[in-house]
Amino acid sequence: MRFRVKIDNQLFPIEACAADEHGYCRMAVNGMGTDAAVKAIAAGHLHLEANGEATNAFVARSGSGLWVWVDGRARLVFDADTEQRRRGTVRREGPREVTPPTPATVVRVPAIVGDHVEKGQALVVVSAMKMELTLTAPYSGTVSAVHTEVGAKVSPGEILVEIEADPEGETHG
Amino acid sequence: MFSKILVANRGEIAVRIMRTAREMGIGTVAVYSEVDRCALHTLTADEAFLLGDSDPSSSYLNMDKIIDVAKRSGAQAIHPGYGFLAENAAFARRVTAEGLVFIGPPAAVMANLGNKTVARTIMAQSNVPIIPGMTVSDTDPARLLQAAEEMGFPVLIKAAAGGGGKGMRIVHDRAAFAEAAELAKSESMSAFGDSSIYVEKCLDRPRHVEFQILADEHGNVVHLFERECSIQRRHQKIIEETPCPALDEELRGRMGAAAVAAARAAGYVNAGTVEFLVDGAGRFYFLEVNTRLQVEHPITEMVTGLDLVRHQIEIAAGKPLPFDQDRLTRRGHAIECRIYAEDPEADFMPSPGPILFVKSPEGPGVRFDHALYTGAQVPMQYDPILGKLVVWAEDRHAAIERMVRALKECVILGVKTPIELMIDVLRSEPFRTGDVHTRLIDDHFSSWQPDRALDHLAAMAFVANEILGPVPGTVSTRDSIGRGMRSPWQTLGAWDMTR
Repeated sequence: MRFRVKIDNQLFPIEACAADEHGYCRMAVNGMGTDAAVKAIAAGHLHLEANGEATNAFVARSGSGLWVWVDGRARLVFDADTEQRRRGTVRREGPREVTPPTPATVVRVPAIVGDHVEKGQALVVVSAMKMELTLTAPYSGTVSAVHTEVGAKVSPGEILVEIEADPEGETHG
Repeated sequence: MFSKILVANRGEIAVRIMRTAREMGIGTVAVYSEVDRCALHTLTADEAFLLGDSDPSSSYLNMDKIIDVAKRSGAQAIHPGYGFLAENAAFARRVTAEGLVFIGPPAAVMANLGNKTVARTIMAQSNVPIIPGMTVSDTDPARLLQAAEEMGFPVLIKAAAGGGGKGMRIVHDRAAFAEAAELAKSESMSAFGDSSIYVEKCLDRPRHVEFQILADEHGNVVHLFERECSIQRRHQKIIEETPCPALDEELRGRMGAAAVAAARAAGYVNAGTVEFLVDGAGRFYFLEVNTRLQVEHPITEMVTGLDLVRHQIEIAAGKPLPFDQDRLTRRGHAIECRIYAEDPEADFMPSPGPILFVKSPEGPGVRFDHALYTGAQVPMQYDPILGKLVVWAEDRHAAIERMVRALKECVILGVKTPIELMIDVLRSEPFRTGDVHTRLIDDHFSSWQPDRALDHLAAMAFVANEILGPVPGTVSTRDSIGRGMRSPWQTLGAWDMTR
């Protein structure tokens, strides 16, 4: 079986076999010369033997990805092919939407419908775990809608402010 | 002795306090907010009472509700933990007025020490060295600037009522002073309801060294040695150790005596911490007194063998300290790492959410005080501390190696944590040589990136998990259906095991 696995922006093409009679699944990362045998030990617990060295990995599923812990290092790992289909397009530089990076409470809303805003201008200030975060305009344009208010509980993915982008050519970062 | 105490806090510190109470045969009462119905501290106590919705003002900061619960449950004393109401003199006064015992210093002492300029005045009068600067707060920009110029830039503008880095500004020159003073005033006003500020000399890359003190109602005061707390981010400590690598016995003795003098000058009772800054030449200056149990108290417990919460409770019950300074000794070396739900790659931004998997580190010399379990929620309303990982070993080198080993065993999945950064900090040359100061993280780790050397192993673990699916006989998840081999538990449908 062939897999294309993604961690942040790094792609790992992996060739793997079905489990053998001892429950070990053998695999290799193409182009890296790493062979490994992996066995499932308990819920969320895998044992890896790679190039003669053994280690334990711990995993937990989260939405579309899998959290993996190896030797004190936690990574969110994706299947590159399903990830591509799910997102539709590859994300462009920087966020394009005004949404909190973490669940938070809105403390101030400087954005006003109809206002022209420059890229980087403060639109919404949210508070999470005693820290204030400012959400800024991802591009210059005119505020067309504000979907939040002071005191609102907001989550990542929720679009708080919509901006009608300036016509091409007028945008200066 | 009390038969029941209420813990007016949440998370790992509430659980830690309840453990000692249980060992002392004292009943425990928890309070919780809506979002903490299934928090570990709620589940750990003998009794638990809902305070209200998740907003701190409706729950952990609501004095009326907490006192009402104390009375209804029959608790005789209240332990405030750290944060929330722990350093609120009005709360301490109220608890006492209601006929309950506050496990902490008297309200008047707390009020004096909570005001930094009052505290500086008390210390200066008792010959405890203070950082050069003002001992009276002011709001007049011209007078503040004059004071700054007299001591020479750089200076620190601080909120008189301050703490935790709020209302604090470093100013490097005259031109930036006026604006910084305005910002400090408004930040202080919104954080503490008081815009008084003062100016003190800014020391270059000082060490932050604090002394633990214990004082009883009978006039006995001792110190339990120091803690080195220089590794900070956003003016908050993240790694602490004891003993401090920079103190020799002579300096340790002088600082300990100054800490005891400071406690006596303030009329201190119960556990407290006297904080000092130490400059490159080994001169030390009083910074402030923290009138509560500190987050980092376990490292003192590890090297002295004493349970600080037990002594807090005994002191609050009126008992005299069972030892004097000469009887106190320390042994070995202890380090603490604070594990927060935060992203070290994004300026330590909070990372709340569900804990999807957790496995505690174990083995010799390891202690993990936490409030985690698989499935626990890290709410966004409160301080994002998940736990504090503490190790003890015979010497500093062994303690560092033990902490690296324990961090690698401390599996937390679902939220971001600084565990990986901490491993790299502990292994770094400045930390290994003991050459630490308060700007170490900023100087050496501001553009820190995770080491990618093991990412291919994580990728292979992902593939194995896809192929092998969940282990038969364990709880299955919806994701697992249709992948790997199905166990009878997945395929058999509903069973009634009682028939």
